[in-house]
Amino acid sequence: MIIMRSRFDEQLNNLRKKMIEIGAECENMIALSTNALFEGNLENARKVRNEGRKIDILEREIESICLKLLLQQQPVAKDLRIISAALKMVTDMERIGDQAEDIAEIVVSMGGRVVDECIYISLMAEATIKMVTESIDAYVNEDLELAKEVLKHDDLVDEAFVRVKERLINMISENIADGEYALDLLMIAKYFERIGDHATNIAEWVIFSVTGIHLQGE
Amino acid sequence: MTTKIFRSIIISSMVVLIASLFVASSFIYTYFNKSQATRLKDELSIVAVNVEKYGDEYFDSFKSSVFRLTLIAHDGVVLYDSQANASEMENHLDRQEIDQALKTGKGSSARYSETLGKKTFYEATLLENGNVLRIAIDQLTVTALLVTMTPAVFVVVIIALVLALVMANKMAKKIVKPLNDLDVENLLENNTYDELAPMLNKINRQNRKINNQIQKLNQKSAEFKQITDAMNEGLVLLNKDGVVVSINDAAKKLFGVDDSSVGRDFLTVDRSLEMSSAINKAMEGKHSELREERNGNEYQFIFNRIESEGNTEGVVILFFDITEKAFAERNRKEFTANVSHELKTPLQSIIGSAELLENDLVKPEDTKKFVDNIKKEATRLVSLINDIIDLSQLDENSELNKETVDLYSVTKEVVEALAVLSEQKEVEIEVVGESCKIKGVRRYLYEIIYNLCDNAIRYSKKGGKVIVRLQNKGENKILEVKDNGIGIAAEHQSRIFERFYRVDKSHSKETGGTGLGLSIVKNAVAYHGGKINIDSKVGKGTTITITF
Repeated sequence: MIIMRSRFDEQLNNLRKKMIEIGAECENMIALSTNALFEGNLENARKVRNEGRKIDILEREIESICLKLLLQQQPVAKDLRIISAALKMVTDMERIGDQAEDIAEIVVSMGGRVVDECIYISLMAEATIKMVTESIDAYVNEDLELAKEVLKHDDLVDEAFVRVKERLINMISENIADGEYALDLLMIAKYFERIGDHATNIAEWVIFSVTGIHLQGE
Repeated sequence: MTTKIFRSIIISSMVVLIASLFVASSFIYTYFNKSQATRLKDELSIVAVNVEKYGDEYFDSFKSSVFRLTLIAHDGVVLYDSQANASEMENHLDRQEIDQALKTGKGSSARYSETLGKKTFYEATLLENGNVLRIAIDQLTVTALLVTMTPAVFVVVIIALVLALVMANKMAKKIVKPLNDLDVENLLENNTYDELAPMLNKINRQNRKINNQIQKLNQKSAEFKQITDAMNEGLVLLNKDGVVVSINDAAKKLFGVDDSSVGRDFLTVDRSLEMSSAINKAMEGKHSELREERNGNEYQFIFNRIESEGNTEGVVILFFDITEKAFAERNRKEFTANVSHELKTPLQSIIGSAELLENDLVKPEDTKKFVDNIKKEATRLVSLINDIIDLSQLDENSELNKETVDLYSVTKEVVEALAVLSEQKEVEIEVVGESCKIKGVRRYLYEIIYNLCDNAIRYSKKGGKVIVRLQNKGENKILEVKDNGIGIAAEHQSRIFERFYRVDKSHSKETGGTGLGLSIVKNAVAYHGGKINIDSKVGKGTTITITF
């Protein structure tokens, strides 16, 4: 019995490790695509695609670990919550990676034109990076307070998105920016907003895995 | 243990009970048999006497439910039987007791009847008329006896069993009690079974040994912790699964974690991809290094494998702050680039002029101008090299003879030396204040004041005024050089002490100077343990205050 439990613990630890790895990978991807966006570094934008593949592989690995654990160990209570939360979180993380990839793609298509017209986009980028980092930190340390903090940040990001939109509308009507460029920026802002939502989801699942209560996401 | 003792007591008492029951019943049985036989013999002799005396009439009066009487003729024919019809009975000549009685006068035998479950004892005697008189008695067999005894035995056994259970339970508990009450802390002070003494002694010795070792281990780990915590460098030890075994204070501070990180995966401490790939590399036995910026400082991380007999036991991560080193490195690179540039410019000018002269391309009346130029550039080179020598001496921090120097007189000297320059630039220079005596290297102090005043004059507007003020303020001596020149913008103020740094990026030679002056000032002031303060506004002038 004890041997079985220790084997189970080992598998759980492995799952935890992989989750942190995929989290770090997400952070890295956002950092790269943000860097590409604001510094016009196309090299980084191209790197993002490779990293995206790594995330996909990690996602498969984590899913199979989770399913194996569910089947072989038939966990209950907190163990079950941890595993099912991981299964949900990994999807959000994979989506974050995808969106970072999308941003990088737009940067490439813009030809590395540096975004400096819109201060709110960089604010959004900063806020979403912080949210992702904090949500993963909250998972790593099972930190409820930090997870709740992330939920609050999401409002900031949503607010910033509205501002970006207003600014872009102004830019178009005053003919400061051409339509295509403005649309690209809008997409980027939307992707950041989505990344923020995914980080919120992760934080909610962290809260669920610790307390067993899943907050209804707005 | 209690159950085992209990069980053995119960089993042994049951065995004793059953054995005694068996022995007792077999004794009773034999005794019973014997007395039966004696009784049978006595009865037979009485009956025989009566039969001899009364003849066949006796048989009519014989009434007994216990005994069975049979009269058999010498040829075996049954003449009479008290319980059966004699004429229907078979010949009895082959019966053992009859045979014996016919031969010896007396016979006895016992036969067991399976069908009836009884045993019958026979006694026979030879009468005077040659007939044999036999008497028989049925006796219950052992089984039958036991069967009749069963209810009684059963009751006895039950009572004994209950008694045994209660007592065995109590006894077992009593035996075990001293063991349960053993004082584990003070093993030797226990007053218990003598048989336990050797074991207790041994355990006690081992306990002491273990305690000693634990104490030593604790001491060692405390020492290790103290040493590593006192280190400025961060130190993290990981086992082969990547779990943190030890992390010192410097590392905790950098990663922003506390003691709870010990025993957890390093990924929970830091999950940066560069870090994990470096750790993985180290696990494979490759030395790896990493330079990363953290919290605004630059750190160098070194990862090494801990191995034992060729197996990876873990990884040690050592890191230190290299912010200053990196800064110094950058400065040196810049300095080298600047020096070569600064040296090259005058040399190129000299070579150019010399080539022109060599090839007679210069008009005779211009020759002097070119020679002057060569001289001017060569002088500039010399002063540049002098400055560099001064700086490198200051850099080396060589111990020079310190003497008491009066800053006031030094300043006077400087002002005299700069008289020509100030006249050229039409700048007035004035020394005010009192005599300030400090212990220092005269040459360096001269350089400080010279460079400050030189700069003040150079960067003053026409008709400007430079005031050098000297003051004693308790222990401190204050030197203040104030001008109303062009001033220094705030963003340059922090950098003007760097070597070759010029506010005017064009490196224009208009104002002259080598670009090393303030750098010399900074190093010389540091050499004397002083502080420099700049107060400057663009267009209004600059005040540089040095406090020794």
